[in-house]
Amino acid sequence: METDSKGDEELSRVVAKIQGGVLAVVCGLMGGLGLFIMTVWLLLEGGPKVGSHLQLLSNFFIGYSVTWKGSLVGLFYGALTGGILGWAIGFIYNRVVGIRYR
Amino acid sequence: MASHPVVVIGAGPAGLTAAYELGKNSSSSLILEAGKQVGGISQTVNYRDFRFDIGGHRFFSKMPMVTELWNEILGDNFLLRPRISRIHYNQHFFDYPLKATNALAGLGVVEALLVCFSYAKVKVFPNGQEENFEQWVINRFGYRLYQIFFKTYTEKVWGISCTEISADWAAQRIKNLSLKEAVRNALFGQRGGKKGEIVTSLIEQFHYPRLGPGMMWERCEELVAGFGSQTLKGMKVERIRHRHGRVDCVSARASSGEHLEFEGSDFVSTMPLRELIEAMDPQPPEKVVEAALGLRYRDYLTVVLVVNREDVFPDNWIYIHSPEVKMGRIQNYKNWSPYMVPDPSRTSLGLEYFLWDKDDEWTWSNERLIEFGTRECAQLGLINPREVEDGTVVRMEKAYPVYDHHYQDYVQTIRQYLETFSNFQTIGRNGLHRYNNQDHSMVTGVYAARNIMGESQHDVWAVNTEKAYHEENRTTSGNGGDRMVPVRVQVSGDELPKENEEELIEIVFAKLDPVAMGVAVGTISGLLILIGTVILVLKGGPVVGPNLSLLGNFLFGFQVTWGGSLIGFLEGGVGGFAIGYSGASLRNWSMKAYAKFIRWREEVNRRRNLLD
Repeated sequence: METDSKGDEELSRVVAKIQGGVLAVVCGLMGGLGLFIMTVWLLLEGGPKVGSHLQLLSNFFIGYSVTWKGSLVGLFYGALTGGILGWAIGFIYNRVVGIRYR
Repeated sequence: MASHPVVVIGAGPAGLTAAYELGKNSSSSLILEAGKQVGGISQTVNYRDFRFDIGGHRFFSKMPMVTELWNEILGDNFLLRPRISRIHYNQHFFDYPLKATNALAGLGVVEALLVCFSYAKVKVFPNGQEENFEQWVINRFGYRLYQIFFKTYTEKVWGISCTEISADWAAQRIKNLSLKEAVRNALFGQRGGKKGEIVTSLIEQFHYPRLGPGMMWERCEELVAGFGSQTLKGMKVERIRHRHGRVDCVSARASSGEHLEFEGSDFVSTMPLRELIEAMDPQPPEKVVEAALGLRYRDYLTVVLVVNREDVFPDNWIYIHSPEVKMGRIQNYKNWSPYMVPDPSRTSLGLEYFLWDKDDEWTWSNERLIEFGTRECAQLGLINPREVEDGTVVRMEKAYPVYDHHYQDYVQTIRQYLETFSNFQTIGRNGLHRYNNQDHSMVTGVYAARNIMGESQHDVWAVNTEKAYHEENRTTSGNGGDRMVPVRVQVSGDELPKENEEELIEIVFAKLDPVAMGVAVGTISGLLILIGTVILVLKGGPVVGPNLSLLGNFLFGFQVTWGGSLIGFLEGGVGGFAIGYSGASLRNWSMKAYAKFIRWREEVNRRRNLLD
């Protein structure tokens, strides 16, 4: 266990800070592209009731629908939500780290 | 009696480097060399324009300070040479550093299977003790590989059973390999070329002076002379006179038989510790004398054969494991540098024998040794005896300090005694009784010089033992060596200088704080459920949030109601915390596991070079 504790000290002396802006961009891209691709995927699959479950997102994202136009609206909402969530996680994480290692 | 500011005993790499460092700082010195030539074990002998080393000396160092010195001294006189080396065993050649497929293929099916079984056995039932070399190697390679590739050669070199050799000797090559060092090597390569550049492979090539390593030390002698220092050759120091904790003068016998005394304000010795203690006048306490007499040294003898053939074999050197011959290693000097031979149609081979000075072979005549070496070479199938045109023999006493079970205690006793002198330092391979390479010896010389100049106090005994010295000029954090000291936790940020590899690794491998990540993800998860529920409640309708209410399957008591939004916030927060905490922990664990994998891989690589 001595080796482990030595290893801990060697590699863990620094606690990472999260770059909120970077995480916001990453999450925004993932959210926006994710929702866009899911919508397009369902549209291409087609069928009698296209994307009945994904459609439920319109409860939160005004103007979103599982249509070609909706895919672009979803891209916007997904990116916005993802960006906010990413930034918020980074912000809260950094605040807590700041308090814990003050 | 001549008086000099600093008297240096020995003109090997350590002594000359000390004089060079002193000279650069306007301090002249007198260097007393017992031999006819400078360079110590790193000298290059010239026999009818055939040049040869006392063992091969690759120029590779992890210490930027040393590579800078090499450049200063020898400039553009280095060649970058390919390394080829093999092991000769049982009439077969095996690649060295060892390669598993090549080794198993060369051993044949039955032996290969036995090797695999033996390796598997030691992995399942390792030896609990690792006190001696045999135990150390068996635990890493298995018994059969140890017998084939380590036992015979190691016993030829050291002249004692592998069970009598301390495990330190092997462990010295891989100890202190920290996770960070391993990761840095993997990410940035190892700095070790003569220009301190990144060398991705220590195995395939090396730097070498055009005319052998002696060229470095002959040039260094010239530079030292330019600083006003003087090197006296053939001057064997016999007495070191001291009183009141200070050395006053040394007494030496010149090759002419004349006795001379040299005074100085500071003294630096590279003499073997055993000879040094014998030379102290007055004599040290009994236990120190006994300790000195207990130290053992292996002597080295090389038989050089000039062979009338252009290409004998492609290797720089071959390890001779075959027990039927006494030869330990064979060097092909023109493969080190083509300038080592005067005629490209000829080859000069160095047959290396590791002996005790009481061995019969040590006193054999040169003619007898040349005949013996020729016969052994032919026996190995390397040459036809009729091709040998000429030959010579070089003997080097005390070439290798022996690491037996008692040497550490003896060295400690001697060190304690020598440290009572305020103006006397001992450096170099034999001066510290440590199996140092040329670069380590040079560092001890630099440190001794700096100690004399009062620049700072360096512990020359710590060179080649502590990580801090290996990492000179690169370690920015606490360098307490093996001693752990509390280090305050830092939080990474943009202010860290990214051009510094150490800091860059710290940032890349910085630990995520699981609690902070748990709080962040938990807060966001809880809020998402809260906001989602509230939006649906506000929207209302005949059936409020039928799909979101399915979360009730996972969140106990959750409904799409005002009360449910609070339950969702709390339980979602707890779930999110668990996910964030585990995610951060898993990421930290993965990074550490990755670093450990890198370290394991590098340690395996180092073990493959154990014979060097």
